[in-house]
Amino acid sequence: MIELKNVTKKYGKVLAVDDISFKIEDGEIMGLLGPNGAGKSTTMNMITGFIEPTDGEIIVDGYDMSRRPKKAKREIGYMPEGVPLYSDLKVKEFVTYMAEIKQVRRKERKDKVEKVIKETGLSDVKNKLIKNLSRGYKQRVSLAGALVSDPKILILDEPTVGLDPKQITEIRSLIKDLGKTHTVILSSHILSEVSQICTRVIIINKGKIVAIDTPENLENRVSNKNCIYVTVEDKENKMDTIKDRIKDIQKVEFVEKNEDGTKQYVIEAKQGIDLRKTIFSEFAKENITIFEMKKADTTLEDAFMKLIEGGKK
Amino acid sequence: MWAVIKKELKTYFYSPIGYVFIGLFLIMFSIFFYIDVFQYSSVNFEYIFYSGATILTFIVPILTMRTIAEERKNGTEQLLLTSPLSITKVVLGKFIAAALIVLITELCTFLYFGILCFFGDPHITTALVTLLGFLLLAMAYISFGILASSITENQIIAGVITIGFFILVWFLPQFNTAFSSFSLINLFSTFPEGQIDIANTITYITFTIMCLLLTVIVMQRRKSVR
Repeated sequence: MIELKNVTKKYGKVLAVDDISFKIEDGEIMGLLGPNGAGKSTTMNMITGFIEPTDGEIIVDGYDMSRRPKKAKREIGYMPEGVPLYSDLKVKEFVTYMAEIKQVRRKERKDKVEKVIKETGLSDVKNKLIKNLSRGYKQRVSLAGALVSDPKILILDEPTVGLDPKQITEIRSLIKDLGKTHTVILSSHILSEVSQICTRVIIINKGKIVAIDTPENLENRVSNKNCIYVTVEDKENKMDTIKDRIKDIQKVEFVEKNEDGTKQYVIEAKQGIDLRKTIFSEFAKENITIFEMKKADTTLEDAFMKLIEGGKK
Repeated sequence: MWAVIKKELKTYFYSPIGYVFIGLFLIMFSIFFYIDVFQYSSVNFEYIFYSGATILTFIVPILTMRTIAEERKNGTEQLLLTSPLSITKVVLGKFIAAALIVLITELCTFLYFGILCFFGDPHITTALVTLLGFLLLAMAYISFGILASSITENQIIAGVITIGFFILVWFLPQFNTAFSSFSLINLFSTFPEGQIDIANTITYITFTIMCLLLTVIVMQRRKSVR
């Protein structure tokens, strides 16, 4: 469990993190979301004890980070932003070194290093120098370093940046698996990633928490209208009167005219009613041909943009 | 802490730094050895260290300039400082590793001692006392080098600060004799005479502790201002 109480971080006069509080329960995969410079990395650096907050308290697994850092740090595996590694060491040496400084017991060390190398798919390169590895492998080495001490909490700062699509899906599924046995905090500015992996999301902007919720709830929070997009060919101009024929329609709004003569409309229905079937049959009777019909889906992207922009006002 | 020492030693010998340090020292030492033995026909092992000590001024920065500056630049300090290791142990680990390199170098100089044994009868106790003094001087130098490395993330700047400081304290007595006890290299001069000067030994040790302590404070402080 991780708890932040009124945590503030100032760099000189610049407020990087402004009085944030939240709680992460065991077994959650928490996504930290925000535009660049929102304070994601700063928050993570404070949770891991790399920097000290100007104000406030951070409690990791029951230990106060500023008072009992040793105990608190032992529970955390951290993969920092930009995957810093000792490029002069070989993969296995690096992972062993991480096990040593994380104070893994001497007896278990060898087994744990072997196990984590296998888990992260590094067996083929374990005797290579880190500086000769590709970006994707470096990322895995960094992850292996974070995992080797078998920490309860995993903190991953932008774990998929700079990877190719195949590697991204691999890392994502790895994180999802890890989430079954660990508490995970990951930061990202890729929204689809967060909505795929995380059980809860914290959106921060300019050092302040804008929202904390599950990805689904965040999407629902923004989508309060029940809208359908249709593209139609309407030779007899009957769209203007369609509202009178279907009673559940609240509003019909013209969006644009396409090059092929079709027109796009947004139809807003009353809450809780799916109008698609009615539209299909009624439009046919009116001799309006439907080219395309789509229920408007709000994504986390919309939620994110709305919340961030809302914060500005 | 053992983990840090081991890793530091590994990086010294995986990269050229360790070899460059030991190699440079032995080349310079050989030249001084040649001059002392063949030009002045002396078989005094310890006298070579008078000149040998000056070499340290220029090569200690090779060892120390990267210690903390490099970690800071590459971001690997995040790994160190988020581990349960205390900052004191990290700094001590780096210090001991560098001191061990100097110790290895000293062991190499026994080769010259062996050569002298062949020609004359050098005094082993004096030689050991000299080596002790040399190690104390090197430790004082290393600790300052690490301190310099902790205040910047640029290795070159760390190196230049270190050499600059060493040269400054070396020549301070030239300006005013009142400064003579500040000259780290002057304090060394009693050791090749075969005596362990308590005052000088304590000066070296306290200077070393002070520099290491300052390094810890610098790193601790960076936690709250970073």
